[in-house]
Amino acid sequence: MATLLMFHGRECPHCKKMMPLVEKLEEETGVRFDKREIWHDEKNADLMRSHRPALAPRCGGQLRVPAFFNPDSGDAMCGEVEYEKLKAWALNQ
Amino acid sequence: MKKRYWRCFVCNDIHCGIAPPELCPTCKVFSAYVEISAGEARRILGGGPDVTMTSAEFRAAIERFTAGNEFEVNPDAEKAGMLIEGIFANEANHGLKYCPCRVRSNEWEEDLRIVCPCNFTIHETYKGVEDGECWCGLFVRRT
Repeated sequence: MATLLMFHGRECPHCKKMMPLVEKLEEETGVRFDKREIWHDEKNADLMRSHRPALAPRCGGQLRVPAFFNPDSGDAMCGEVEYEKLKAWALNQ
Repeated sequence: MKKRYWRCFVCNDIHCGIAPPELCPTCKVFSAYVEISAGEARRILGGGPDVTMTSAEFRAAIERFTAGNEFEVNPDAEKAGMLIEGIFANEANHGLKYCPCRVRSNEWEEDLRIVCPCNFTIHETYKGVEDGECWCGLFVRRT
């Protein structure tokens, strides 16, 4: 199973809300997210910028967090979502 | 009377005066100006990083800004506090009050669009949405 990427910001309340859902999903399903904080680590911001062509169309044309990304398929999802939506997206990768 | 600095949240025009213009002379939007610090005005016009506005002053500035608009600062104090903390961390680390829920592109003009308050009224999370809010949630439509 592919390791997925989660881009998040330390002071982003939507990211904070999603983090326990991501951890619950990891525990329940074995899916793994590589979590990258993007405002306090410039390498992570660079990584997110490098995936702009895939991420921006799913994020209102911008680079927004939280963002979830499969580097293998190029599939992405953006924003605060319900647990079941996150799970469905992750298991579909 | 001491002049202060103001930024159009739509087109980033900078105004220096005792009060903000009612109408932005560039983009023609009403009630578009939010007070900023002199340091922020200088940085937008090409200066360097120096934080001169406290978070309390910023909070007061956006409260005054929203008073003339159909939106308000999010009444969820915990959420608003976290966002303002992030906005100030971004100003200290990256030079401007960038949105904590987006990422800089490193293109100057584009990144001005994510300086808080941004022009969220055109975004899909706000425009035409009954309980709309900006992407990060610092500003919400008045109910």
